[in-house]
Amino acid sequence: MGKEKKISYFINAVGVLVLFLLLYALFQSGVLGVRTSYLKGICTTACYTIIMVTSLNLLVGFMGEFSLGHAGFMSVGAYASAVVTNMLADAGIPNLLLFIIALLVGGCCAAVTGVLVGIPALRLRGDYLAIVTVAFAEIIRVAFCNFEITGGGRTMSGIAKLSDFYWCFWVTVVCVSIMFLYTRSRFGRTIVAIREDYIAASASGINVTFYKVLNFTISAFFAGVGGAMYAHYMTAMIPTNFNFAYSAEMLTEVIIGGTGSLTGSIIGAAFLSALPEAMRQFANYRMLAYSVVLVLVMIFKPGGIFGKWEFSLTRALKKLVHFGRDGKKPAEQMTGGE
Amino acid sequence: MSLFIQSIINGLNQGAIYALIALGYTMVYGIIRMINFAHGDFIMVGAYTLFYTVPLMINYGMPAWLAVIIAIVVCVVVGVTVEVVAYRPVRNAGSMTALITALAMSLFLENLAMVLFGANPKSVTAIFDLPSIDFLGAKLQCKYLLTIAIGLIMMLGLQIFVKKTKLGKAMRAVPQDKQASTLLGINVNKIITTTFAIGSGLAAVAAMMYCSTYPRCTTDMGSMMGLKAFIAAVLGGIGSIPGAMLGGIIVGLVEIFVKVYVAPGWYEAITYSLLIFVLLIKPSGILGKNTGEKV
Amino acid sequence: MKKKFLSILLTAAMTAALVTGCGGGTTSEATADSGETASAETTESAPTGEEDNIVRIGVVCAMTGGSAIYGEGAQNAVDLAVEEINSSDSPIKVEIVNGGKVVDDAKDSKQAVNAYNSLIPESPEAVVGSFFSSVTLPMAELANEQNMLLLATGATNYKVTLIGPTIFRNCFIDPYQGKMAALFAKDQGASKVAIIYAKDDDYSNGLKDAFLENAEANGLEIVYTGECTTTDTDFTAQASQAVASGADFLFYPCFLDTVPLLVQQARDAGFEGIIMGGDGWDGSDTTGLESYFDNCYFTNHYSSEDTAEAVQNFVTKYTEKYGSESLNACAALYYDAIYMLVQAAKAGGGTDTASLVKGMTGMTFTGVGGTFTLDENGDPEKSVAINTYENGEVKWFKTLSPEGK
Repeated sequence: MGKEKKISYFINAVGVLVLFLLLYALFQSGVLGVRTSYLKGICTTACYTIIMVTSLNLLVGFMGEFSLGHAGFMSVGAYASAVVTNMLADAGIPNLLLFIIALLVGGCCAAVTGVLVGIPALRLRGDYLAIVTVAFAEIIRVAFCNFEITGGGRTMSGIAKLSDFYWCFWVTVVCVSIMFLYTRSRFGRTIVAIREDYIAASASGINVTFYKVLNFTISAFFAGVGGAMYAHYMTAMIPTNFNFAYSAEMLTEVIIGGTGSLTGSIIGAAFLSALPEAMRQFANYRMLAYSVVLVLVMIFKPGGIFGKWEFSLTRALKKLVHFGRDGKKPAEQMTGGE
Repeated sequence: MSLFIQSIINGLNQGAIYALIALGYTMVYGIIRMINFAHGDFIMVGAYTLFYTVPLMINYGMPAWLAVIIAIVVCVVVGVTVEVVAYRPVRNAGSMTALITALAMSLFLENLAMVLFGANPKSVTAIFDLPSIDFLGAKLQCKYLLTIAIGLIMMLGLQIFVKKTKLGKAMRAVPQDKQASTLLGINVNKIITTTFAIGSGLAAVAAMMYCSTYPRCTTDMGSMMGLKAFIAAVLGGIGSIPGAMLGGIIVGLVEIFVKVYVAPGWYEAITYSLLIFVLLIKPSGILGKNTGEKV
Repeated sequence: MKKKFLSILLTAAMTAALVTGCGGGTTSEATADSGETASAETTESAPTGEEDNIVRIGVVCAMTGGSAIYGEGAQNAVDLAVEEINSSDSPIKVEIVNGGKVVDDAKDSKQAVNAYNSLIPESPEAVVGSFFSSVTLPMAELANEQNMLLLATGATNYKVTLIGPTIFRNCFIDPYQGKMAALFAKDQGASKVAIIYAKDDDYSNGLKDAFLENAEANGLEIVYTGECTTTDTDFTAQASQAVASGADFLFYPCFLDTVPLLVQQARDAGFEGIIMGGDGWDGSDTTGLESYFDNCYFTNHYSSEDTAEAVQNFVTKYTEKYGSESLNACAALYYDAIYMLVQAAKAGGGTDTASLVKGMTGMTFTGVGGTFTLDENGDPEKSVAINTYENGEVKWFKTLSPEGK
């Protein structure tokens, strides 16, 4: 078992590296010509969206509680990191280090907020919890409108542009791997146990509140990291960016991708960040077409596109080898992996 | 002193409008346990209907308030269509799916309105031309009184309907146990559709009162007003009809008083803090019934 | 099996969306190529400025969402300007990339950056937009990196043009309009002023700061400062406080969608003094509130009553074609922007970006927004038209020169 795990980690690492090299080659070689910056932009957007949506999935998929206030944590990360990089701008720190500091500061501040919000909020469940998270996110937004250091309600601009796509790619890989390992760890399994039956879990001696707050905090941490990446990509932001509609959009991405599936979150995030761009040809009907697609997906695939299914490179490779031997259709097996 | 009285009047008026919208949320949530985020957009539909029908009514020499009947019909049609087309297929897929469908429907209605009616905010012709009177040194608009009165009538009417009539009793039975109510000969689908019809009809009435105070309709008016009104419904105890009324009034008063006397820039934050505070003390809201969880 | 089929179908649809999304429309390739050849020709024949000179322009504005009314005006105005220029005998012609369509930013910075990036493959020589500071700032950052000429239209935040030498704008900066309003207040004999501003908006904040500063400097007493948000509909609290404070002048620097609500509620609360706003008021709907809008003023780039040829031409042609519903400050600014680029091409002696920047720097332009000169930052200094209302119709009141005379 141990050996198999090691092999699978290795295969996945190679897979990620191949993907990176592929993208690197695409962007650097200039085969895409003038479209490079557009595509790079969309890919960077996809990076922070993936982190944010995956972190939200920790709450929605693994804890079974939904939060409609994820943009609040994101904004804490974004503003905290922007303030810090502005302070350190003249300190002569190399950009990469500064970027990592920014991400960590953003994540930590969001995590602290996560604890502060989580302790009272997690006494509630279901719809009520969702409403309380909306309330907290709105309070955070109003607070940023009133703090002078974040520009009051004005646009905070001139944030150093640190979010280079190649860096963002690796940050995303690291964040998603940590979250994946977390869901497979003792903690992750405990959270799932609480989701399935919290009364039984608590009867088995699990400190339900502690684990819930822990999960909430971790989720907030990664939302903060995503927010920091956002801030240093956009270079300018205004508190109204982080409104209820944005939280709702992220939750939609989780549900569309499939609750409880990190693969789903990644694909859902990439899908929904690309969708409004793909719809540009519809001009003024763009957002209408977007909402129609959402409704249709919900009606025909209510559990999300991927359900609980996770993509595994190891499994896919095995099946490919298998396919070589048996001559079976691999596509059928891949989608049938639920 | 007159500022204080004026603030009470303003707060009650705003609260009454919140309450009217909150009634719709509470009706739907009470029956199918679903946050209907599209409810705010039903109000938008109602407001646009009024925008087009009020001048028609005046042209044909009929009283302007008759336009609200057309608005009710339009809203009911839209509400029932949304329920049958979008909500019914996902009803058994869990609360999150339902929630996302509602959010998507809300987005859909907003963008459809944008395509149909254009982006320009529209001014709705005044429905009631009522004078304002001096009251203890403050100006009291008679339409404010009307809003509050309509709110109270709606609340009482709904309360009697839900508690006393056969249909109302069936409505209360459905959320308690769907299977058992089917066994007793209640057509669950029919009840839920009726609930949506009533909720959407309420939205049209709310749109009328909203437009008489804020005579403007925009395609995103629903989502702005809707979230606040929903907060009001939760505060009062979602599912409880007097609770929606109470919650609306409280939110309206708190907002106005915070703006006048406390910290104008923080008024939204304070409203939301109040909600959190109430939910932590009494998770089901002020007038909500606390239903213990079954092991 | 049905499930499986559906998931395959959805996955396929998704991949398709991803591919087209990332592909950015392969159709653009053809135009991009022709654009390249066009600009190649330009560089060869640039100094003489021949008739095949075409300025390729990308336009960004909010076409969907709550601010779509501005996009509607922008699209119409751009269409109008392009038609006029291309049918005239001007040696410079214009072409709007993306098939003549304004690209949507939905007033969201994420979408604005994508919108800007999506234009670049079509090799525009200049980008016009956007209307809000919060979305223009990230775009300006990119434009500066790529040395692209960005002509901002409504982004009034003073920081926009400081980002780089290729960033220009043709609207007032916030401090300027606020100052003009304060001077006007003094001129009208106001002594106690009140202000209500939207806390979560750049434009409103900028005007408020400048107004307060200049009002104080001119000996006006500020009796009340009220806050609201851009999405508020209820102003009764602020209005009643403004009345209670005894103010005789109320400044409300916000956008047109809330203006009728504020004016109505302030009048209902018993406020009888002057209510004033900035260019965000242009295009406000006064239907049913005609009497309420008496004694209201706003500063603007132009006045629809102005007898200047450019203004009359624009107002008549626009109203004729598209009606007056979307005729607002935004439309006028986009209309001027296209003309400014044409003039820059003439002055700079070519239609490539470098010549346009050369022509644009320090240019003096006469258009719908009056005559103005771009200063060293790329900001215009222009006269302000003060408008008032009569029976709900906008009437020209007076024009103040940059010195406030």
